[in-house]
Amino acid sequence: MSDTIAIRTDGLHKNFGRGKKRVQAVRGINLEIHAGQVYGFLGPNGAGKTTTIRMLLDLIHPSAGKAYIYGQEVHQRHGVLRRVGALVEGAAFYPFLSGRRNLEVLSRTGNQYDRARIDALLQQVGLLDRAKQRVKGYSTGMKQRLGLAAALLHDPDLLILDEPTNGLDPSGMHEIRFFIRNLADQFGKTVFLSSHLLGEVEQVCDRVAIIHKGEILREGAVKDLLSTESQLRVEATPLDKAAEILHDQWPIATNTDHLMVKASHEETPFVIRRLVENQIDVYEVSSQRQTLEEYFLSVVGAEVKQDA
Amino acid sequence: MLNLFRAEWHKVTGNRWVAGCMIWIFPIGAFGFVLVIGAILALSSTFRESFTEEPTRWTDQAVAVWELPNDPTIGRLILVGFTAVVFAGEYQWGTWKSVVPRNRRLALILTKFFTVGVFVIVAFVVMSIILALGSWPLVAMAGGTYGPKPTGEVIRDFLGEYALQAATSFTAVMIAAGYAALAAMLTRSILGGIVAGVIITAAEGFSILALFIVGSLFDVPRLVLLYRFTPTYNLLNVTSWLRSNEPNAINFENIAGTNIYYSDTLLFSLVMLAMWMISLIALTSGLFQRQDITS
Repeated sequence: MSDTIAIRTDGLHKNFGRGKKRVQAVRGINLEIHAGQVYGFLGPNGAGKTTTIRMLLDLIHPSAGKAYIYGQEVHQRHGVLRRVGALVEGAAFYPFLSGRRNLEVLSRTGNQYDRARIDALLQQVGLLDRAKQRVKGYSTGMKQRLGLAAALLHDPDLLILDEPTNGLDPSGMHEIRFFIRNLADQFGKTVFLSSHLLGEVEQVCDRVAIIHKGEILREGAVKDLLSTESQLRVEATPLDKAAEILHDQWPIATNTDHLMVKASHEETPFVIRRLVENQIDVYEVSSQRQTLEEYFLSVVGAEVKQDA
Repeated sequence: MLNLFRAEWHKVTGNRWVAGCMIWIFPIGAFGFVLVIGAILALSSTFRESFTEEPTRWTDQAVAVWELPNDPTIGRLILVGFTAVVFAGEYQWGTWKSVVPRNRRLALILTKFFTVGVFVIVAFVVMSIILALGSWPLVAMAGGTYGPKPTGEVIRDFLGEYALQAATSFTAVMIAAGYAALAAMLTRSILGGIVAGVIITAAEGFSILALFIVGSLFDVPRLVLLYRFTPTYNLLNVTSWLRSNEPNAINFENIAGTNIYYSDTLLFSLVMLAMWMISLIALTSGLFQRQDITS
């Protein structure tokens, strides 16, 4: 892991509205994302993901706290955003301009016009054949691809992508996932990826943060978060006796033909030994690694229950 | 800055309806006007006779074009609409979120004002050329003479008068554009920008009447003096000074028993106009600096 911090936020707050209509969209978010990582930002709709991203891009001013990109405070040093490429909440373009002209306008806006790079990016996202067509005739997926090309226009060190695979077909989604992972692995880019597609995040991200109601609930490396929550599926007879034996040491959920034991993969031999020593016949013990989706639902679900 | 300007140029020219109906309509309209007059001249001998009653001068034709942007019924309205599209279009298309991280907000807004100004100048200079050159064959068809001969002195005088008319009209347009831009940024809508821009521009023109009525009603006759600070008054004053070398004096007799007369120097009006332009641009920029881009 690189020592360079690509993104840091200190107590980031954002309120919308005033008085009784005041909504706290983001409540004291602290993040520290090292360069070279693919970082997932998860949360249900309205959790504050896009608001946080907009604050990172100086589109929205924080009510309190600060956002830093490569050590520079974004609002004070807007120029640091030249190191950032972003795709925020669905790609938006000038509908009356062609795909290529849109990229030209955006690159000129950033004072970094390079026609050859535009052509290369259009080729890379599979839009070179349609580059002369007006964007208003593009499908959502094509706009999303063009959005990715726009984000990469100036070869940024950090990519902030908000739902980048929205509107893409399964093969397109797979391509983009590979593309994102490749950016980090091959080119050392940092990717901050907000997505509600948890499978996608699990496949490409090194670390994740789960945000709910404007607050970070959990943060950590994907493998660490999931290993703490792994389970063992145990088929044994008699099942009720097996449950009784294991119950002292591990939380147990009993099903009709098997037990779910909340234990890590490393604890598997101990579980088997315990059962065998107590004359239980063991037919199968398999490690059931929790998916990120299950983990996410358990974290967010617990929070919802707590609120209720 | 040149790249930013070229980006804005592409946005305007690429939006064919907007560029066509709000900017190129002026030179295209001038060309159409020449064709229509030519057709009528070809068909009507009466019109040919009346066309040559007064001598036609290319210098007058070119200068007169610059009165159009000040015309509150068509010219000003269209240009306010154009400004509203330039400024509020980004909200409508949701493109600010892609644009703002790429450059400083101040630079983005200043470039928009600059672009509006450049388009207005290009459109009306081209329109001047079309009308001045296009009237030549028209006058020839009608059997008249088209003067004056472009001697050094004539061209010098023409350029001076042209620059004066263009500068005053351009200033008026940019102040109206300032209102429209401010309204567009506040309402975040093209229609809102146009409606509010037109209302503010019209209200400013009629402010003298409102000040007069309010001053009379509340027995504060000197309230009408506030009119001195409006762009309308100062534009009239500048024009009066430059054309007649005298102020555009305002004289109100017997408002609530008081006579009010005032006139101002050319410098006063130039400073006031500059202040209005700078203030409107600064206000729009300041507003945008603080604005949250949420769409």
